[in-house]
Amino acid sequence: MAREESSKVTRRSTRSSSSASVTVENPEPNESHSPTIDDLTFGEESITLDALLSNFPGRRSQILDFIRLIGPLDCPILPIMVYGSASTGKSSVVLQTLRHLNRPFVYSSSRTCYNPRILFESILNQLLLHRKCSSNGYSSAKRCDKPSDFVNLLREALSNVIGTLDSASGKGKMVYLVIDNVDLIKYWDKGSMILQFLFSLYTVLKMPQLGIMLISGLPPDVYYSNMGYTDPLLLYFPEYSEDDLRLIFLRNQANKKLYSAFLDVVLRPFCRVTRRVEELSTTFSSLFRKYCEPLDDLGVSPNEEMKRRLYSHLKPLIAPCLNEIFRVSSHPHDGDTRGERRQKVNYSSETREELEVLDFHMSSSAKYLLIAAFLASRNPATLDASMFDSTGGMDNRKRKRKVSEKSMEKKEIAEQEAVMKGPGSFPLERLLAIFQCIASVGDSSFGEEGEEEEEDPTGYDRESNNLMSDILLQVSSLCDANFLVKSGSCPLEGSIRYRSMVSEDLALKVARSLSFPLAKYLYRR
Amino acid sequence: MGKEIPAEKSLNLIRERLCDPTFVFRPLSASSDSNYSKLKFIVSTSITEGCNNSILLLGPRGSGKAAVLDLVVGDLLEEYPDSVSLIRLNGLLHSDDNCAFKEIARQLCMEHHLLFSKMASFDENSQFIIAMLRECGLAHKTIIFLLDEFDMFAQGKQRLLYSLLDAMQSVTSQAVVVGISSRLDADQLLEKRVRSRFSHRKFLFLPPSREEIDSLLEHLLFLPADSSFPNGYVSQFNEKIKNLTSDARFKDILRTFFNANSTVNSLLKFIFRAVSLMNLESGLLSLENFKAALSSIQRQPKLEAIKDCSILELYLLVCMRRLEVKEQSSYNFISVMKEYKTIHDSFQTSDYYAQNVCLRAFEHLREREVICYAENRGQSQTGEYRLMTLMISASELHQGMRSHACCPAILLKLLDH
Repeated sequence: MAREESSKVTRRSTRSSSSASVTVENPEPNESHSPTIDDLTFGEESITLDALLSNFPGRRSQILDFIRLIGPLDCPILPIMVYGSASTGKSSVVLQTLRHLNRPFVYSSSRTCYNPRILFESILNQLLLHRKCSSNGYSSAKRCDKPSDFVNLLREALSNVIGTLDSASGKGKMVYLVIDNVDLIKYWDKGSMILQFLFSLYTVLKMPQLGIMLISGLPPDVYYSNMGYTDPLLLYFPEYSEDDLRLIFLRNQANKKLYSAFLDVVLRPFCRVTRRVEELSTTFSSLFRKYCEPLDDLGVSPNEEMKRRLYSHLKPLIAPCLNEIFRVSSHPHDGDTRGERRQKVNYSSETREELEVLDFHMSSSAKYLLIAAFLASRNPATLDASMFDSTGGMDNRKRKRKVSEKSMEKKEIAEQEAVMKGPGSFPLERLLAIFQCIASVGDSSFGEEGEEEEEDPTGYDRESNNLMSDILLQVSSLCDANFLVKSGSCPLEGSIRYRSMVSEDLALKVARSLSFPLAKYLYRR
Repeated sequence: MGKEIPAEKSLNLIRERLCDPTFVFRPLSASSDSNYSKLKFIVSTSITEGCNNSILLLGPRGSGKAAVLDLVVGDLLEEYPDSVSLIRLNGLLHSDDNCAFKEIARQLCMEHHLLFSKMASFDENSQFIIAMLRECGLAHKTIIFLLDEFDMFAQGKQRLLYSLLDAMQSVTSQAVVVGISSRLDADQLLEKRVRSRFSHRKFLFLPPSREEIDSLLEHLLFLPADSSFPNGYVSQFNEKIKNLTSDARFKDILRTFFNANSTVNSLLKFIFRAVSLMNLESGLLSLENFKAALSSIQRQPKLEAIKDCSILELYLLVCMRRLEVKEQSSYNFISVMKEYKTIHDSFQTSDYYAQNVCLRAFEHLREREVICYAENRGQSQTGEYRLMTLMISASELHQGMRSHACCPAILLKLLDH
């Protein structure tokens, strides 16, 4: 994880921080520091090949391949496309390799440059050694939003840069253009045109001094549909293997032996779920803290017996962690006490119970509203009347007794359709009507079962009135929390319709916390 | 050390050659019935006789249309330096009529040392161009319009093509329009009024023949004897290349390569890859370089994507495949999860994870475009309920899973049944 962090930092810092560090030195860069041609190289001192290779475990062949493709000084190069899935070190490797070779380059990512104009202008700014600052009103060197203008301006800027590079020593006369996250361009307005343009930029420009490198999260075959597509040279970054991941996580660890023992335990099961460094690192960092809990001295090198002890301490935590995407521990103490309890109590039954408990707070009227929305999304509107009549939907069960082969089949198809369609949408009026029904039923059921404190009849009224107050505010806050989604307006009525985004499990949980008999009201086909 | 410098130098030289299309296509245009000679004849007669002409160069991407045209134009500029002026347009950049007129005006201004106004309107620009065409015609100067990606100009109202070709109908003007397109039906895309003004001269660019490839390889790879290389090195290098090109295994490699892609540009890319793998210590190219280049060029992105999947992601893919086999034509995340659960229930697999973890894996698959949403409608639904489709075929899935590093045996079994 440390590796990933460090590489992230260097990536961020590539161009912007080399300028940022300058800004720290002199707060007004425009006064004393005017950017020179040297700013096109990495800025910091270059690193050796060995350092480069050891910085990126598991990327040896890719780095060597990349260096070969770039070739010795002054070698012209055909366009390259580096591709591979997320967090496989594409950008970092490309940039650090250019740092190693100490070549001048321009880096723009279409993540930060989110439209053609910003992308083009950022490239030109870097080439023209222009820096946005207060004295020029943070404007770009050139205004350019069309590819045709960009080509002309780029040609001009490049020939300037190459002219000055010629006289500067040791940098060669090649400039590299690195465009990161090319796959995002696909989703731009007229993105396929821009992609087509970038892929054929080399042939359009006819300047072999510009080495074009595209970094893409998607494989090349998704670009085939673009008609201007000409194959660049491909360089593939595969997902890290388990051994690579071990090397990556072992980097920058204080106690390598202890961490290696920890990885022995966790790496294999977690690799089955995901092999992304960023995702694994978040889980591992919290798990490692747990792993170290029984230890007094973190510098100790574990022997077999201790490993076994630590393993048995960690083992119950692994399974729930595997089933969690991320662990936001808003109550660290709560987590700690839970951990302690886990040590004592038989684990499996404990989690069972824990799963039943809602892990967030909600007012009871919001809970009712949530259930009402859930019902409105799941039940057909035509059945509302029979569901919420005076008998409280109890007869629902008895309606169909006989189950023939054909009706079973029909039922299956209907179920299939329901799954395909997802939750239905409903107008606000229906939601409020159902809410009113179930809120009153919920109250009366409390009364009948006597679980809640005794209330006098006037209390009922007051309570339900309380529930009804500010109901629209509750609806909007449920919308904000994404439990409800506004799903456009109905073409006939013109009113806004809502849709419940709550899963059945959560709805049942909420209902249980209110002791509301949800299952009774849910229409099952 | 003494040897490393010539090796780098030769690498540089060959790479420079590969990146220079005029160098590559020079020998291919030598013969008298090549496209180069025919094209040159037509254009030069229109220059000398002062007539108008329009030509289309058609052929697959990377077959050297633009390079041959550049050769011709370069030669003509040398031969008639005073009576040729060039306007280059690219359909990718200037498919918008307004933009194209502006660019033509800009290039004309550059050429004739006139002041170009960025603010000029479409109308002003087009009047300016027609006036310039007349002036050039009177001065017996031919304007050659090179329209790359010609088919892109045929989109929309084709005003540019119409006004260019219409201006050429007058006696005074003197211009040649050369269109380059990879669409063989490019002239069919033209409107009637444009087509009737277009002379239907077409040149077809075909993939190179065997002999041409051999001579091209020789042309690209042999080092010149008279340069500053040490003498022994040049002969050693050339000897090695000669051995290599006559080797049957090398020919096999070349044949497999050409089975997939037979244009000159792709060959250049292949050689570039091989040359960049050259061992700088020996300074010689070897058969291994070409073998490695072939394997790195023949990629199968879908299989790679499957190899990148984690076990859980493979489970989801298998579930989707099973749903497809069951003739359930459309499915979403929820129905995939149902299938996942039934698999777990009947086989008690060790890989059963919570729904949110699966959803994350699902999103990973979608990011890699192994799966995608079936339709763009239904944006209001959350991702779980939107219809999905697999982007890989069953055989690719099979092949990819078999070559996966740690695919569980049960998954392969599940895929079959």
